[in-house]
Amino acid sequence: MYKLKCRLGIINIKYFIGILIGMAVFIAVVAIIRLDITGDKGSGLGNEYLYEIDLSVDPNLILYEESGESMKTGFASTHAIALDSQGLMYIAGDKAVRIFTESGKLLDEIVLPGVPRSLTVADDGKIYVGIINHIAVYNRQGKQLASWESLGDRALLTSIAVSGSDVFAADAGNRIVLHYDTNGNLINRIGGKDEDRNIPGFIIPSPYFDLVMRRDQLLRVVNPGLHKIEAYTFDGDLEFSWGKYSTSIEGFCGCCNPINIAVLGDDSFVTCEKGLARIKIYDPEGAFVGVVAGPEQFGVTAHVCTTPEQCQSGGFDVAVDAQDRIFVLDTIKNVVKIFTRKKAG
Amino acid sequence: MMSENKNNINRRHFLKDGVWATCLAGLAGLGGFLLSKLKKNNTVWQIDPYVCVACGNCATYCVLEDSAVKCVQVYEICGYCDICTGYLEPEANPPDTGAEKELCPTGALKRVFVEDPYFEYNVDEALCNGCGKCVKGCTVFGNGSLFLQVRHDRCLNCNECSIAAACPSQAYKRVPANEPYLLKKMDHA
Repeated sequence: MYKLKCRLGIINIKYFIGILIGMAVFIAVVAIIRLDITGDKGSGLGNEYLYEIDLSVDPNLILYEESGESMKTGFASTHAIALDSQGLMYIAGDKAVRIFTESGKLLDEIVLPGVPRSLTVADDGKIYVGIINHIAVYNRQGKQLASWESLGDRALLTSIAVSGSDVFAADAGNRIVLHYDTNGNLINRIGGKDEDRNIPGFIIPSPYFDLVMRRDQLLRVVNPGLHKIEAYTFDGDLEFSWGKYSTSIEGFCGCCNPINIAVLGDDSFVTCEKGLARIKIYDPEGAFVGVVAGPEQFGVTAHVCTTPEQCQSGGFDVAVDAQDRIFVLDTIKNVVKIFTRKKAG
Repeated sequence: MMSENKNNINRRHFLKDGVWATCLAGLAGLGGFLLSKLKKNNTVWQIDPYVCVACGNCATYCVLEDSAVKCVQVYEICGYCDICTGYLEPEANPPDTGAEKELCPTGALKRVFVEDPYFEYNVDEALCNGCGKCVKGCTVFGNGSLFLQVRHDRCLNCNECSIAAACPSQAYKRVPANEPYLLKKMDHA
């Protein structure tokens, strides 16, 4: 009887230990399953911590469609796109300018001494490149024809436009437009704050500051901090401006937009925004016409940015060819997308 | 006979060499262990701001009740914007900068007028919980002058940082303790 009790006692203790081990294993398994060691379950923060904005664009407003495949530039980082009168594409990136055919075939590469932030191709074929703080001029064969005087450490040339014998450069660092002749002689400074001339001055929080020349011989300069496009004479008089801040599709959103502009054959404007990557069309007077592409066309869906590349990327650049096709340089993926107007009906 | 002596000597040498080898291996192991401890003690956790996606995990995964991660501002990069997208809700009407339009859920980002039309934005660390909401707004639309950093006056420098384990973009890395912060630079703005 005693032996039996002992045996039962031993059996009970064994069972007890077994149950304890079983429970411990069960708890461990549950803990491992519940443990979020990768953060995949999210932060657990409430809705007030979400940063989401409406990225959707009314499909009825989209007037353009992408034609063909995106063209790879081969650059690790890209900054500017320009087209010449023959339809060749010039892409500025890394420390070079690459020249492509429309089909994406690489024709030439011009190696530069520094990082190009802007470029344009004049009617005579000369390539003007803004290399941080100075302009360098090259021919189509890649020979350097001139290197203009540096504008100093603060300067950052983010746009160049050539009209006949006049060259205009947007200096984002010094918040001024410089008017040169084609030999690099400085003629005038345009757009500095001047209350007597009713010029507000350029507000440029980010290093994006674009300008284009229109056929009316008025220079159009983006004032991104004011969300406006301003029209200046060659003498520096501010004639008029248009544009307004708004997150709605008709306006420009964020701290400082648009960042880049181009002009269509009918003198309408193509505008390019960063943050919310939107390419839009405005008529010559600045009235909203429609959308070329919205965030969805550039692969941005639910969130504004979820990858380091998206979060740290700059703004896109835009150019227009003689057929009014719109070439967008996607500086996140370093590719060029070509958009053509949808056929009516 | 010669062969036997040679074998004895070899055995003795073998044992002697074995003891020496064991001692040396032990010393090397001890040295390596101490070196690794020393190295670990000379590094701290930090967030690479160019890799961080401001997911919000820093606010909730830190073992401290009040996260050691705080938002920092690099004034050299800041655009001093009137419409600061790190400060205002995206849909906010720009002239209306009332509290209800502020992006920061804890009111940790303070706006100070500098001169028309520029404003300075300062982080109140006591209120900041490292959620990164302002970082997202500033980075997406602005210059990214607001970003998250592990503050070493608070961080316990855990061997296995729980935020690092939960970081979806692998932005956490060990950096030398004598250079404990990874600050953004002007050329990236």
